Amino acid sequence: MIQDLLHSSPGILNFGIFFVLALLFLFVILGFVTYAILAERKVLGFMQGRIGPNHLGGRWGLLQTVADVLKLLVKEDLIPKAADRPLFILAPVIAFAPSFIVVATIPFTDKLQFADLNVGLLYYIAISGISIIGTLMAAWASNNKYSLIGGMRAAAQMVSYEIPLVMSGLGIVLLTGSLNLNEIVAQQQEAGWFILWQPIAFVVFFISATAELYRVPFDLAEAENELVAGFHTEYSGFRWAMFMLSEYVYMFAMASLISVLFLGGWLPPFEFLGFIPGAVWFALKFSLVVYILIWFRATFPRLRADQLMEFAWKVLLPVALANIFLTALLKELLSIF
Amino acid sequence: MTFSGEFLAFILLALVAISGGVLLLNLTKVVHMVVALVFTFISIAGIYILLSAEFLAVVQVLIYSGAISIIMLFGIMLTKHNDEEEATAKGGKWRKAFLLLGVLAFGAVFYAGIYNLDFGSTPVALHENNAEQIGISLFSDYVIPFELMSVLLLVAFVGAIVLSKKDEEKEGEKE
Repeated sequence: MIQDLLHSSPGILNFGIFFVLALLFLFVILGFVTYAILAERKVLGFMQGRIGPNHLGGRWGLLQTVADVLKLLVKEDLIPKAADRPLFILAPVIAFAPSFIVVATIPFTDKLQFADLNVGLLYYIAISGISIIGTLMAAWASNNKYSLIGGMRAAAQMVSYEIPLVMSGLGIVLLTGSLNLNEIVAQQQEAGWFILWQPIAFVVFFISATAELYRVPFDLAEAENELVAGFHTEYSGFRWAMFMLSEYVYMFAMASLISVLFLGGWLPPFEFLGFIPGAVWFALKFSLVVYILIWFRATFPRLRADQLMEFAWKVLLPVALANIFLTALLKELLSIF
Repeated sequence: MTFSGEFLAFILLALVAISGGVLLLNLTKVVHMVVALVFTFISIAGIYILLSAEFLAVVQVLIYSGAISIIMLFGIMLTKHNDEEEATAKGGKWRKAFLLLGVLAFGAVFYAGIYNLDFGSTPVALHENNAEQIGISLFSDYVIPFELMSVLLLVAFVGAIVLSKKDEEKEGEKE
């Protein structure tokens, strides 16, 4: 449907349709973020032998995040006097916008996708890189030592971990012969999920993805015991909410990307389970990835800054390069694909 | 001239690109300048998309708006980051008049040069599978320039490592 719309002649009606679709999608993602935060707190609570939020909205605390967001919205908007005002205001917007732009290319089922791009995988990586500029701007504009150190750490980490992320994805591109996410899923229908063909790439990709999301054990940019809160130390209220929102939307996007690349997207694991609709399979795989990310947070201690960089450049990158070599070798020798 | 969505998008992107460039020249703080530059880079990527060169557009965003701007920001923040340009008001009326004349002449020359430019008939299928086509021509027609490029980059890479190693040794001697 989107393809037809894209080829039709422009007009107010088309604009309206796109606007409404995007708005609808934004609300779906906001809904996800609301309950992802609740799920995170609940799962963390259970893993640490606590109960987690249980007061507002019944026994499961279903309205807790809604209340938190409302509180954030009515908070006083503070801009420090010594801050660089225009950059301080612009930074949360630049940090959030790319996170919503990247989800456009992710195919949720074979029909539900906003933009079927030929360079889908590369598009995701490229656009998500713009967020770093928002982070750095926030760190810079705050005019605060902790913010600046946090922002520098965040940028260095993002740039370093982007490379193993792309390199491990290349193995899949080699096997599929395309950067298009739809074709990657179609290839998995014929050959089986790529987690079976590319286990090394999966491990490298998952680790780099966790680092890209600034989640524990890679959350040095926001290490609260040394940096207060990292690059958003000076932010509060709505602007702070924008940063948190962007982080969770990236989590949504990255979990979807991992399900599409390695777990077969909307495909059922076995043929005879094909009667269950693709959206359900996608949701299951996606929830599994999100759960594992939360699980990581509850179990791993934080890395040291020098270990972090060494790990990216001396361990992940060589492993990813070796994986590309191995994949090319296998593809040529066995000629399965 | 038809007023299509493509035209509208082009005007918007071109406007952002040009205003980014003008802001880059007119802002006084260095960090603001880099941010203006990022807007220019991104809107140029948008123009590539309008020309259906998706691969080029994505690489533009990846390399220019992503990597290069961040390296520039790093460089600025690690060096003289509070540098501000003082507003200069030198040059009299004549200088301004000549400047305007120069700008107009430049515009006229380019308008005349580009408006009736004809590259001949172009192949039609260039917009399909962009990445694949670029890869094929890179590794069949342009292998030697490509390899030379990679050697050049490698040399620069090794040079950077050697330079930073030397600094470390000197600092070690001082201590």
